Amino acid sequence: MTTRTIEFREALREAMSEEMREDLRVFLIGEEVAQYNGAYKVSRGMLDEFGPKRVIDTPISESGFAGMSIGAAMMGLRPIVEFMSWSFSLVAADPILNNAPKMLYMSGGQFGCPIVFRGNDGAGGQLGSTHSWCVESMFANVPGLKMAIPFTPYDAKGLLKTAIRDDDPVFFLESERLLSIEGEVPEESYTVPFGQALIRRPGTDCTIVSFGRPLYFCLEAAKTLAQEGIECEVIDGRTIKPLDIDTIVASVRKTNYCVVVDQSWSFASVGSEIASQVHQHCFDDLDNHVMRVHNDDVPAPYAYNLEQEMLPNARKICEAVRAVTYNA
Amino acid sequence: MSIEITMPRLSDTMETGTIIKWEIAEGDVVSAGDVIADVETDKATMELQVFDDGTVARILVPEGQTTDVGTIIAILAEDDEDSTKVGTESGGASSAPESQTKATSSDTTSAPPASELEAPVPTREAPAPRSNGKMKVSPVARHLADEHSVDLRHVEGTGPGGRIIKRDILKAIDAGAETQAAVPPSSITPIEPVSVATPVKSRTAAMPLVPASMGSMLQEQIIPVSNIRQIIAKRLIESKTTVPHYQVTCAFDMDPLLEMRQQLNEQLVAQQVKLSVNDFLVKCCAVAMYEHPFFNASWEGEQIRIHGEINIGIAISLPPEKGGGLVVGVIRHADQKSLRAISSETRYLAEKARGKGLSLEEMSGSTFTISNLGMFGVEHFTAIINPPNSAILAVGAAIQKPVVKQGELVVGREMSATLSSDHRVIDGAMAAQYLASLRQYIENPASLLV
Amino acid sequence: MTTSSKPDITPQSASLKAKGPSTDLLKQWLRDMLLIREFEVRTMQAYQNKKIGGFCHVYIGQEAVAVGCTAALEPNDPVVTAYRDHGHALARGMDPKYGMAEMFGRIGGCAKGKGGSMHFFDKEHHMYGGHGIVGAQTPLGAGLAFATKYEDEIINGGVSNRVTLSFLGDGALNQGSFHEAQNLAGVLDLPVIFVCENNGYSMGTAISRGTTMGHDITSKAAGYGFDSAVIEGMDVIEVYEGMKAVVDKCRETSRPAFVDMRTYRFKGHSMSDPRKYRTKEEEQQYAQDDPIDKLANELMNNRGLSRDEYDVMAKEVKKQIREATKWAEASPIPDIEELYRDVYVEKFGPYSGTSLPAMLED
Repeated sequence: MTTRTIEFREALREAMSEEMREDLRVFLIGEEVAQYNGAYKVSRGMLDEFGPKRVIDTPISESGFAGMSIGAAMMGLRPIVEFMSWSFSLVAADPILNNAPKMLYMSGGQFGCPIVFRGNDGAGGQLGSTHSWCVESMFANVPGLKMAIPFTPYDAKGLLKTAIRDDDPVFFLESERLLSIEGEVPEESYTVPFGQALIRRPGTDCTIVSFGRPLYFCLEAAKTLAQEGIECEVIDGRTIKPLDIDTIVASVRKTNYCVVVDQSWSFASVGSEIASQVHQHCFDDLDNHVMRVHNDDVPAPYAYNLEQEMLPNARKICEAVRAVTYNA
Repeated sequence: MSIEITMPRLSDTMETGTIIKWEIAEGDVVSAGDVIADVETDKATMELQVFDDGTVARILVPEGQTTDVGTIIAILAEDDEDSTKVGTESGGASSAPESQTKATSSDTTSAPPASELEAPVPTREAPAPRSNGKMKVSPVARHLADEHSVDLRHVEGTGPGGRIIKRDILKAIDAGAETQAAVPPSSITPIEPVSVATPVKSRTAAMPLVPASMGSMLQEQIIPVSNIRQIIAKRLIESKTTVPHYQVTCAFDMDPLLEMRQQLNEQLVAQQVKLSVNDFLVKCCAVAMYEHPFFNASWEGEQIRIHGEINIGIAISLPPEKGGGLVVGVIRHADQKSLRAISSETRYLAEKARGKGLSLEEMSGSTFTISNLGMFGVEHFTAIINPPNSAILAVGAAIQKPVVKQGELVVGREMSATLSSDHRVIDGAMAAQYLASLRQYIENPASLLV
Repeated sequence: MTTSSKPDITPQSASLKAKGPSTDLLKQWLRDMLLIREFEVRTMQAYQNKKIGGFCHVYIGQEAVAVGCTAALEPNDPVVTAYRDHGHALARGMDPKYGMAEMFGRIGGCAKGKGGSMHFFDKEHHMYGGHGIVGAQTPLGAGLAFATKYEDEIINGGVSNRVTLSFLGDGALNQGSFHEAQNLAGVLDLPVIFVCENNGYSMGTAISRGTTMGHDITSKAAGYGFDSAVIEGMDVIEVYEGMKAVVDKCRETSRPAFVDMRTYRFKGHSMSDPRKYRTKEEEQQYAQDDPIDKLANELMNNRGLSRDEYDVMAKEVKKQIREATKWAEASPIPDIEELYRDVYVEKFGPYSGTSLPAMLED
């Protein structure tokens, strides 16, 4: 298999472009996606290829264009809705939470909603509280939606293609901080299925579960910890809904310790959900309770040092792993 | 102050009582009103309730034993006491049961004398972990302790608040194993039964009684049949009993193929591709179908179906920790795929089969199957047809042998393969012809590349 | 139809044009309105008998709007509305038995008992719901129009020829989503008509108390550059003729439009509404303006409908609704498995895929 090295943002673009070539029902809509080439240059060049009727600039009107795209999806189109940032999706909470994930159910199976909402999630670089939302924990609480968080360009492309082909609404959470990282993708077309976690680093002493950008912190921590003789198994969950709990459970049964790293806030979070499920499935295999590393329970600050401290950074992960394995 | 529990008078005529069952164990926390034992009186079996709160420090009368009413049968430690020490003071309550208990010959769990109890206590660096009288043990530590018969009361907890954690149990197991190993084998037999029956008091006794060296002895086990094994059983019985199998074996000169494989692999090393002999065989078997479509067919009772696509199944054995067994991964359109594609797909299927498991789609739709035991050094074997296929090829190892080439005796590499065929679809001569075609490809492998 | 603004909602005198739609068509509309009325009466009865749970909003008084608007549409034009949706579904052609079964929480319901009164959907008749959040259906309406246009132009390579009706109440005028929907419809040239069923009250708040420029709501559409119309919603012929012109123009130009549809809700906002916010006199005045009576009078006075004929029609409608109610009562409650169906199209977790409602299976 020959491979190429591309940026994360190119991977996202390739996924969208390939699917748009394959399926006329697919279109891209959002703020600055067309003429401006995307606020983060994810959609660069797509207007030229697909024209203004399939790569559609919208006014700053998230509730409106999210709702409109849901209406289009009810009729069978397959919109890709770009939120410049998931932070801005909050003004579209009603359509994306009350309409998209429930349409199929409310209509007794008559009208589905094959739509992808995608954009940057999580802290960027010193964006302050309003622009640093991590929506996964809030939104994963809603039945009827799926949620993917890619970590590498390979997954960004493969998971996004799966998302676009999926018949259900998919919340696709990218990270501004990852858009420029590079990685290998195959020449051939491929997809990455939902609900299949990946072991990013094998280990025997402690399981670390995470999604998206914090996996970098996890891998960094795992490296440090390896020097101390603690071999961590780092699991990339890839999709929060569906969650591949089996892979996590198999790992914890082996290591007897688990740390969950989640870039959202701790209370009623993805992290607490995974911890709960691990306790449920691995109760007799645990040598300590599951520990969690989250954003600190404060609004995201602006100052660089404060923001770094707030994040679930490598230092905190190391501390958690040492504590959970009784090596503190 | 400790609380003595005595055999109660549970009926107007009761003089003695028998403990039928203890509902408590030493170390348990009890509250007033809890049922702690079933006691058989002269009239009935009654529940014995406790009137105080506390931690069970000692159980002095074993199940099955009869004692007089008023005899101390157990001792509770109150909150402020160390339950491990209660009942160990000389002259205290401990003397009472000694004198009042009617020991029986089978009394293996009765309380040992105080002196015996005392012995291990000072050797502990810290008291066994207790919190509010309850031992703190992590779930996996408890599990491990059970598995290795480690007595938790004698393990020092190093976790927070004295919690016994996995590492503590592993240490105890290690220590036990060392002690065990230090005991000469001859000294194992003379262990007094009484010592064995009071295992709680010595470190060695906390270990499994079977010496490590005897661990390899076969033991009778009952293994529930997994779904996959049931399916294997059902399908193979069906195949072996309903399909008229016969076998034809042929040997192939593997030198040309192995040479070419080596060359290709050298070129492909940079791309991390390594073609296996099996990859070549998949391709050979697939392309040979063009001339022999009946090998790519199914018996359907009233008709024979010749398939329109060539999908080669590969038998993949599953590791024992996955429960063993085997599955067939399918390389679709193997005739149209490059060796490299076959190779990477095979590797993917094998890894997935041994990991997460194959999807139904990845296991279904084969039209012919190859089973290869060459990697185990097997020279020759026969395989059972994988229905609804009409044939299966069982492949052995390429083995160095003296062979005659161009009139000279030289060392060559030869591989033997046995074709099992369904006689309803394929006659003997056809099998021979298929193998001849296979030989053409195997011995002239360059043809596979065009 | 008038294109000028009206100062306030006032009942119209019962004057109907002699020309216009054929007598047969008018009889059909009369029957349609009677059907909605009877359906709603039996709905209220069933609600009081505890056969219907939750919130329930009846359409009595506004029948001419749904029937007249539907008459101005092609059968494949999408329609979407808010929670007072029974009339639209029935006008669109849904069999009343599926609606009644839905409210009874039965498997035979139009959404298999999962939507209830506020969420009537009917794919076959291009009825896209029934939506419970005030104003939330308006961006969906824009999206339906977007999709018809996209399908026609991008997928089928033609020109846009379908029109979407997105109904809203006057209470939705002040929701942000409605304004965002209007702006998008304007900027993207969407063939959607926002029909504001202006019954004068958002729940218990009179329009003058809650809506600036409430006396002339078309001024809001003017801000978005839309064509707009004020239509007398208590007269089905006016509704039809007014809407026909708006729909035809929208179809031709693919430009959005706005309609101030003047109507009146005879009953309360919901079943638990004591209607203390309006006077008995006002209600009695509007009762004189009943759209059903108005059309019946027109047919009897000018189109030769006999009293007997009318009675037969009314009787038939009663019978149909009685049978629909009976059918709904006989429809089984949903299997518990249904709880886990339709959450996702594809099997995921404990959820299984879709199974269509009975009304689409036939």
